[in-house]
Amino acid sequence: MKKPGSSLILNYNISTTIAFIAIVVFFIIFTPNHLFIDIRNLVSIGTLMPDLGIVALGIGMLMICGEFDLSIPSLIPLCSYVFAILLMKGINPALALVILLPLGAVLGFINGIIVVKTGLPSFIITLSTMMFWKGVIFSLSHMAPISITKYINPHPYFEKMLIGTIGKLPIQTIWFVGVAIILGLLLHFNKFGNWIFATGSNKEAARAMGINTNMVKTTCYIIIGILCVFAGTMQSVRLGSFNATQGIGFEMKAIAAVVVGGISLRGGIGNMLNIFLGILIIKVLENGLILMRAPVFGIDAFIGLALVLFAIINNFIQRRLA
Amino acid sequence: MEYLLEVKNLTKRFGGLVAVNKVSMEIKEGEVVGLLGDNGAGKSTLIKMISGVHRPDEGQIFFKGKEVKIDSTRKALSIGIETLYQDLSLAENLNVYSNIFLGREKLKKILKFINVLDHDYMHKESKKVLDRLEIEIPSLRNRIRVLSGGQRQAVAISRSIYWDAKLLIMDEPTAALGVAEQKKVLELVLKLKSQGIGIIIISHQLYDVFSVADRLVIMRRGEKVGERNIKETNPDEVVSLIVGAEKVKQ
Ligand SMILES: Nc1ncnc2c1ncn2[C@@H]1O[C@H](COP(=O)(O)OP(=O)(O)OP(=O)(O)O)[C@@H](O)[C@H]1O
Ligand SMILES: [Mg+2]
Repeated sequence: MKKPGSSLILNYNISTTIAFIAIVVFFIIFTPNHLFIDIRNLVSIGTLMPDLGIVALGIGMLMICGEFDLSIPSLIPLCSYVFAILLMKGINPALALVILLPLGAVLGFINGIIVVKTGLPSFIITLSTMMFWKGVIFSLSHMAPISITKYINPHPYFEKMLIGTIGKLPIQTIWFVGVAIILGLLLHFNKFGNWIFATGSNKEAARAMGINTNMVKTTCYIIIGILCVFAGTMQSVRLGSFNATQGIGFEMKAIAAVVVGGISLRGGIGNMLNIFLGILIIKVLENGLILMRAPVFGIDAFIGLALVLFAIINNFIQRRLA
Repeated sequence: MEYLLEVKNLTKRFGGLVAVNKVSMEIKEGEVVGLLGDNGAGKSTLIKMISGVHRPDEGQIFFKGKEVKIDSTRKALSIGIETLYQDLSLAENLNVYSNIFLGREKLKKILKFINVLDHDYMHKESKKVLDRLEIEIPSLRNRIRVLSGGQRQAVAISRSIYWDAKLLIMDEPTAALGVAEQKKVLELVLKLKSQGIGIIIISHQLYDVFSVADRLVIMRRGEKVGERNIKETNPDEVVSLIVGAEKVKQ
């Protein structure tokens, strides 16, 4: 970790940390009654953030290889729909989750293989798969929610594992941090991480060195698919039901979080710590603005402003580096 | 003496275009062969068949006397064919030693079962090879993007040497460099030659080629149109081969 040669340090972008601290301090001071640091508010952030956060971590890694994934708002409800169906068939929830993992992997694989085989922009490909799966999920479910509480209740251990608390600390937060650590190790301490950076910064060079860049990209899509299973299941257990609109808007928020985290849209640059902070920033912004009684429907306007600001700052920093 | 590399009748088509048409050439250990030709003559395509980027449509490749099927870049690397591409073959956002080890990373185990990158080892080994070639790079922990063109080329060359290149192919290694850096790269070529490495060098700068090559192979429109020992030719003759004699006469 102390070694400045590691990509964790080399690609570390201080501006995200400064922004995070500034925003937190701002909300601590200016939210009514300093509600922001009220333990109940912190717990609520810790409970809600991982839904988006877990998947966004994977999106960040994918964006370092220079690709996008817009399909997550369809993959998440699709996984959660299949989860509900499996439960209705009487399958133990833990087993259902295990069965879902390969499904998520296959969904990710489909995205990946189309992107690398067609060579078309992943923006278009995953926009298409997003709409395709959305159509599938809407027609299968007729958009009706499916309550799953009666299947989950007999398995309190399962519920505790996904959405319980340790003291006041929501388990979701632990999963979120856990995924960030695992992906961080993969990205910064494993050769696969090096290949991700090489794929994103000079695909031809990576190929010439015998790196299968198609495999690298496809693997990142598969990881996202698996994370969607996780986030989808966790969210539906919390909500107590499958919901066709789960994960709606996540594709853009994930990109926003990753950009705020200093990842270049051109790929090749990035850092798991920054991605993690980027996600926190987006969530803290949302939360803090609500506490400050910003009109709910106007919050996106603030996030949009913040995003532009970050993009400008990061662009400036990257040009200085180049 | 047997050849280090011998290619026979290599042909590559892209759709209707015959980019390389039945080209044969050979190279011995410690020999420097200059590959010349106008833009689009097929030089890069020819060497990409040798380095495993393209598969030949026809023809054979022999390495140290044995026929080899080079069906991937990995295969070429594994038998000791290293290539420096025209479009610099380094990942800009990785540091120097990560580039030297790119695709062949050195790992170490922590807690007995988790493989992680062994930064210390890669740093140390890279330093050694750079020192051996007398290449000066301020810090191997710097990203490639902060290095000059010449330093980058030097890093790419030392990568080949570290991985024990028997044959080094260089596609316009001096194209993007300043005069002093060009000279440094050419010195490096001669140093490698003296270590018995076979080198194929593509360049548009005749001066470069004449100062390091033993032999020249000239291509035009996908075909080999001539082969000359450097001592038995001169730049004028070579230019007329490159552009086609008819043109010169006009
Ligand atoms: N991947 C490809 N697909 C289609 N055509 C190609 C491809 N690569 C090269 N060509 C064509 O093959 C011909 C030979 O190209 P090549 O790159 O080998 O030339 P070159 O001698 O290296 O030229 P230069 O000196 O400009 O680098 C050109 O007409 C080129 O357009
Ligand atoms: Mg070329």
